[in-house]
Amino acid sequence: VGRQPRTDGATIDAVSEIAVQSSEQQRFVWLREHLATTPGRLRLLALLLATTALIFGVATTAAATVRRNATNAVAAQTEPLLFEADGLYASLSDADATAATTFLRGGIESGTRRRRYLNDLRSATSQLTTLTRQVRNSPVAEAAVSTISARLPIYSGLIETARANNRQGFPVGAAYLRQASDLMRAEILPAADRLYAVEAQRLTGDYRSGVGSGTFAVVVLTGLLALAALIGGQVYVTRRTHRLLNVPMVVGTVVLLALVVWTLAAFSQEQDSLSSAQRKGSDPVEILSATRILTLRAEGDESLALVAHGGGDQFVADFAAATHALGPADGTQRLLGEASMLASRTHSAAAFAEFRSTLARYRAAHRRIAALEAAGRFGDAINLAVGSRAKEAPLADELNKSLGTQIASAQHRFAGAAENATSALGGLWLGIPLLATAVGLLGLLGLFQRISEYR
Amino acid sequence: MMNARTVLTAAVGVLAAAVLAGCASTSNHATLVSLAALDTPTPVLPRSPGEPTVRCNDPTASLRPGAQLPVPGAMPAGSFMRTIERRGSLIAGVDQNTLLFAYLNPFTGGIQGFEIDLLRQIAKAIFGDPGRIEFKAITTAERLPYVQEGRVDIVADAMTVNCYRIRKVDFSTVYYDAGQRLLVPRNSHAHGIADLAGKRVCVTKTGTAKKYLDAYAAEHRRRHPIPDAVSQRTDCLVALQLGEVAAIASDDAILLGFAKQDPYTKIVGPRFTNEPYGMAISKRHPDFVRFVNGVLAGVRADGVWTSLYRKWLGSVAPTRSPPHARYRD
Repeated sequence: VGRQPRTDGATIDAVSEIAVQSSEQQRFVWLREHLATTPGRLRLLALLLATTALIFGVATTAAATVRRNATNAVAAQTEPLLFEADGLYASLSDADATAATTFLRGGIESGTRRRRYLNDLRSATSQLTTLTRQVRNSPVAEAAVSTISARLPIYSGLIETARANNRQGFPVGAAYLRQASDLMRAEILPAADRLYAVEAQRLTGDYRSGVGSGTFAVVVLTGLLALAALIGGQVYVTRRTHRLLNVPMVVGTVVLLALVVWTLAAFSQEQDSLSSAQRKGSDPVEILSATRILTLRAEGDESLALVAHGGGDQFVADFAAATHALGPADGTQRLLGEASMLASRTHSAAAFAEFRSTLARYRAAHRRIAALEAAGRFGDAINLAVGSRAKEAPLADELNKSLGTQIASAQHRFAGAAENATSALGGLWLGIPLLATAVGLLGLLGLFQRISEYR
Repeated sequence: MMNARTVLTAAVGVLAAAVLAGCASTSNHATLVSLAALDTPTPVLPRSPGEPTVRCNDPTASLRPGAQLPVPGAMPAGSFMRTIERRGSLIAGVDQNTLLFAYLNPFTGGIQGFEIDLLRQIAKAIFGDPGRIEFKAITTAERLPYVQEGRVDIVADAMTVNCYRIRKVDFSTVYYDAGQRLLVPRNSHAHGIADLAGKRVCVTKTGTAKKYLDAYAAEHRRRHPIPDAVSQRTDCLVALQLGEVAAIASDDAILLGFAKQDPYTKIVGPRFTNEPYGMAISKRHPDFVRFVNGVLAGVRADGVWTSLYRKWLGSVAPTRSPPHARYRD
């Protein structure tokens, strides 16, 4: 019983083998017959020409689609999402820094600080909503978003408890603030950082597929293939028929060349624009955002150290670490060095130089505050930091505002260049299929004119 | 043939151009730089080593004061009090977060409390003016080195006189007798450590309470509380209010301040350690130790201690008499 199907199978195999052999033989016969006569060769040439034109059309359309999708993704999705992730990170850092500063004055909190803190929470929530909708396809980003969503209400609860205790003059208020800040720095901000890293990687990927040289090669190679078929056809026809020009085929060649040139020109224009969107737009956005986040971290450290009344060594050390990562205010090293280079690249050196001089003044104010703090004169230190004639808080605000403006204009530059990149590929989606079809048809037309002469 | 060669040349040319155009591409340098900067870790500070346990006879016995205190504003020549007098103010190291004992009043910006008022008595004895004093907020870890290095004249910061510390600095006579107790929520049924088996109890990392609980756990292997160590005293109150711990073990002096900040808590159980508080002074200035002991003897005798106790602690703790001064010579 078990053997029956196997015997059947063997029989079927043998039969199909014979069928294959016979069809192969038939095919060779067909080819031989065609190669024997001129009209046969012309027909074969027509088939070759149609095939190469089809390959060219399909491959080039695919290449243009890859680029168009990547460019569209960069312009409308990944970069705006990265910008949003950056914004979330900055809102959360700003909330942390602002909350700490609010409590420096004891029970009497400044209305503007309180409003700024509430605004930060509001923008963080709305940024989180946007990101939640868009991060579905990355488990890391999804986990990060849900961590932030879960912890943020706890954070704001701790801040409100700190506030209530502070209003009664209870030292435990400062402990609640520390707890809140710990939660922010140990769980919420690292999640924002992971989210940012995921989005940045995605953007890098889209930039790569938007400018990949593979798509160039595809257009050139398949274009050459079609060109070779067209030219070879014309040479053969000229030799066989002793007519110098075959008008449809010449027109087809010109159209093909024009299409290849147009496609390559569009690709390279899109590539230029995309590269400039990155170099002058999203690169400065990333570097300046990192600068803003580190500046806010240092600002928060300063306040938390002052709130701790001498128990804030951890925050003093963290201020130093954040300051070191930023680099010296002359903009020669590390993050500020990078930002300085980008500023000169984008003709915004003046705005950045002003930022640097404000930063230098902020750091001078910090040194005076640190000296007072080291001497145990917390009242004087706090007055210098946030008092009515404070030196430091207005400078910190100025830094934040300046970075905000610079980031906005970098984002503006990005949007402009990305728009150019998208529009550079504008007509290709229709142009390539239409013109490639035209090339194929013109070639066939030219060949069939000759074939008909043999009947 | 000519045609084929032209085509080939053209092909190579176009391909080269395409590859060149592909090179003017993008880079993820900015992303890497910004991510690296954002990853800057918070530096890990070296943790201060705990104090070793050493033995000695009665560490609270201090230097006997002279028969009579010098007249304020006329300190004897060559004495450390004269140095302070010439400087213009007494420099005292204090805490700013212990409600009732030494804390910052956020509304006035000044430091106040029981310890602060006692220190003002010393300034009054030197200058005749209790306002001639400068408070330096210091951390628990800074107390001994600040006195040893002469960065402050005196420290009054809920500091227990013990056998280890008297090797480093001198102490005044005891100005407050504290002891370790428990703070629990008002609805808790715990009356002592034995009732907290398996529960979390908050202590400070370097405090005496942690040592005690660790020793208790070693002795009662089966049933003992689990110490939950935090770095700053007030973090314990946060942990209790958030329900993360069932109790706080600490000096009752500190617990009084906690109970004042949260009326839904109570101090329970007997004292399980004695924590006599003294003021720390450099070993280089025995004359100043005797002087401070003289001032403290004065405030014990003339009722100032009692009135200060009532002012700060009267509403939260039962009245008691000042601790007896013990002298070693």
